[in-house]
Amino acid sequence: MINPVRKLTRGIKPRVRKIWNNPVASHRVFSNGINIENLRVEFPKFCLQDINLSIGKGEFFVLLGPNGAGKTVLLEAIAGLIPIKRGRIFIGGLEVTHLPPEKRGIGIVYQDYALFPHLTVLENIKYGLHFHNIEKTEARKRLNQLLDQLNLRPIIKRLPTNLSGGELQRVALARALMVKPSVLLLDEPLSALDPNFRGEMQVELKGLHQNINVTFLMVTHDFSEALSLATRVAVINQGRIEQVGEVTDIFQRPRSPFVAEFVGMKNVFKVKFNGTKALLSDWELELGRGVEDSQGYIAIRPEDIVISKERFSSSMQNSFKGIVSKVLNQGFYYEIHIRIEKIIFKALITKMALFELGLTEGVPIYLSFKTTAIHIF
Amino acid sequence: MKKEAFFWVTISCGVMIMAFILLPLIQMVISPSMEKLYTTIKDKDVFRSIWLSIYTSGLAAIISFVIGTPFAYLLARKDFFGKNFVESIIDIPIVIPHPVVGIAILSVTGKDYWIGQILHELGIRIMGSTVGIVTVLVFVGMPFYINTAREGFKSISPRLENISRSLGASMISTFFRITFPLAWRSMIVGMIMCCARAISEFGAVVIVAYHPMIAPVLIYERFESYGLSYSQPVAVWLILVCLVLFLILRIISIPQKRRA
Amino acid sequence: MKNTGLRMTFVSLLVFLFIAFAQASEEPSGKIIIFHAGSLSIPFERMEKEFEARYPNVDIIHEASGSRRAARKISDLKKPCDIMASADYTVIDELLIPEYADWNIRFASNRLVLCYTEKSRYVNEINAKNWYEILIKKGVIWGHSDPNADPCGYRSLMVLRLAEIYYKKPGLYQRLTSSRPKENIRPKSVELVALLQTGHMDYAFEYLSVAIQHGLKFIELPNEINLSDYHLDNFYKQAKVKVSGKRPGEFIWKMGKSCTYGITLIKNSPNRKAATSFLEYLLDKNAGLKILGEMGQPPFIPARVPTEEMKARLPEELKGLVEVK
Repeated sequence: MINPVRKLTRGIKPRVRKIWNNPVASHRVFSNGINIENLRVEFPKFCLQDINLSIGKGEFFVLLGPNGAGKTVLLEAIAGLIPIKRGRIFIGGLEVTHLPPEKRGIGIVYQDYALFPHLTVLENIKYGLHFHNIEKTEARKRLNQLLDQLNLRPIIKRLPTNLSGGELQRVALARALMVKPSVLLLDEPLSALDPNFRGEMQVELKGLHQNINVTFLMVTHDFSEALSLATRVAVINQGRIEQVGEVTDIFQRPRSPFVAEFVGMKNVFKVKFNGTKALLSDWELELGRGVEDSQGYIAIRPEDIVISKERFSSSMQNSFKGIVSKVLNQGFYYEIHIRIEKIIFKALITKMALFELGLTEGVPIYLSFKTTAIHIF
Repeated sequence: MKKEAFFWVTISCGVMIMAFILLPLIQMVISPSMEKLYTTIKDKDVFRSIWLSIYTSGLAAIISFVIGTPFAYLLARKDFFGKNFVESIIDIPIVIPHPVVGIAILSVTGKDYWIGQILHELGIRIMGSTVGIVTVLVFVGMPFYINTAREGFKSISPRLENISRSLGASMISTFFRITFPLAWRSMIVGMIMCCARAISEFGAVVIVAYHPMIAPVLIYERFESYGLSYSQPVAVWLILVCLVLFLILRIISIPQKRRA
Repeated sequence: MKNTGLRMTFVSLLVFLFIAFAQASEEPSGKIIIFHAGSLSIPFERMEKEFEARYPNVDIIHEASGSRRAARKISDLKKPCDIMASADYTVIDELLIPEYADWNIRFASNRLVLCYTEKSRYVNEINAKNWYEILIKKGVIWGHSDPNADPCGYRSLMVLRLAEIYYKKPGLYQRLTSSRPKENIRPKSVELVALLQTGHMDYAFEYLSVAIQHGLKFIELPNEINLSDYHLDNFYKQAKVKVSGKRPGEFIWKMGKSCTYGITLIKNSPNRKAATSFLEYLLDKNAGLKILGEMGQPPFIPARVPTEEMKARLPEELKGLVEVK
């Protein structure tokens, strides 16, 4: 069946048609979630620059980046809590750039949950009702829904000082959702929890999102969280957005060395290209495809590197001999550093394999990888 | 062995300091007889003096509260160019010698100066009046209030205010529903510190207003005219008033310390 | 050789020190503590500078206050003091002799004037004839010093009483004092000068010398009321003012008399020698007394003591500088 939109747009120029047909891939389309145009925020020692984002209504969008990259700044700019130098912000299709925070229809959940310490759980949740004209029965219905959904009834009379991390988070969520925001901003909500507990909370958060029609914008430095929760991700570094796209896209096709490293590609090297080969230090790697640029970067996932005692003669066109320089115990697996002349490759290996191959520092070893395992950018 | 010596040094310093503070005061308080204390407080001049001291310092504390709170809040929340400079200016009244404060206020409110002329037109009198006394006391006491209130506001995470605003509250609603209930203790402590500072002021007030006499001026006047035995009982009453203030301060601030 | 050299230096050092010490012990040295009336502040400051320039080892410490208060500091508070100079010599007679002083030298006179500045209200209308009507007017802030602490204070009140008699306006004293609330009284008359200068006060009663020294405008009052002329002492006697006595609750009646300044050496003065030197300097018509005259305070040349007997009690150095009058 022909996509009705495609039928309608057949007459329009191909580029525009592409945008219309594929709104998710391009970030310049206007949506009913959050739209940010050319945002610039200036601080004495830090700058957010040229931020352009389009987040669809009801999406679970994750903003990923290391500490100090500007994630919280961007969040607070969207919330209207810090002044912006330039740009426009739209929420739910309406421009909110010049509106104060209380008029933007957003909810916030901070990393430390920031519950009002002098109010009980129930008073915290009902706080927003003072400022919104919500009919009493409607409010009560919503309250009951949230209390049940987040399992808060047992603790409604308690004060925040006596609650556990998980309880605090749920109260913070209930409080924000009570006034039906169109957007929920979450600033590293899981970082303060026990690592064991985090997995559980991720599931809960995802479940909550699926049950309500609210756009979630979450900020984190943990890629695995993005992997499990997000529909789309933006990677931000030093105040700039490096890449936007679906999670798997970013994971498999990082577009810059920074993004590559951030998503776990540990072998990122600067190389010179020559036809189908890449020149890394003194020796050549076979790429299996032609590259136009004369220089750039390549990256190889540690899990794509195969280790053997002898050279692999099969389909792997890249096979080199090196020496084990380090063996790091990562719990369920080992990370092995192999030095080939001046370059160090990082590979992953199971405990079993480690013993079988008898690998310790100084042992000579072969490493190989397919041409398709080499990511070029 | 070394540890022992260090320990004794700290203890003896502590004892010396305690003695230094307590001995003169205890000596002063036990000197006059109960009967003398009773007749002293019944003396109309003494009673009026002490009441004037309490009343003017209380007023100074309230004025500091009203005007100082918004400013303290601004200093706690916003960074701006020249902020360090502004905060140093707030501390100036603390370091200026007291008679200088009195002379400065007298000069600026005299008919020589435009402020004095405006006051004269409005019929407001500074020299020798309660208004003048309160003016001086606000000048010397305000920094204490502002500094304490500012630290109190700082101790409240701005995130709480952010959340309140995201939930629909305006800045003012947020201040009264969130910031104030969490900071009121610091504000009271600040007011009491301002009050305590104001009650003990002498050098600045005596230049601006000899009459009406606040308690420290009365004590000094009696001492100069008739000597120790005539001035001591008044001093004792003033000490008692100050101690009561101080006690209230401690009672209010202790729960705060425990929580922190 | 070395030994002798060292010994020589040592001996000459000793000799030098001895001479220096002997020299020093002839000259006045050390601290001199003077309690004096507020109105003497400026002339005394100049005298101190000159005296200290002459005798650099001397350090003069002075405390200005109302003369009665100064006397109390000596008698009640037992504060150490070498010289006491009072704006009213009777203060020394009443409060210090005989326990704390033996004699009393009258060295200068003064008179009261009504001071003001160009900022004062009704400045263009006031003159020697209508001053008392201006003072009563609403909104006029005027004052004088505390009668219990300062002779200028009770002298001001005497001026008011004499005005009532002189201008033949019964009840004038009452009307004047009720238009001057307590807030306009200061312990020391010189404080009123600052209030005049900053515009906080319109008129104040002060000594002529103070008015001149501070460059204030002033109204000259009739001799009959300004306590200037000792010939009019009988007229002045009519003014009687009540001031506090030696102990709280006690009172003394002061009778009007011409302004006469007195000075004395306190009996247990800590630095008698230097103090006497200073008195020598002060009573010298080419030194201290000359300064007083230049600063608007007519001195008695020579200074006076009332009786031969008192003259005999004076220190030797001072006997030649006074006459019995």
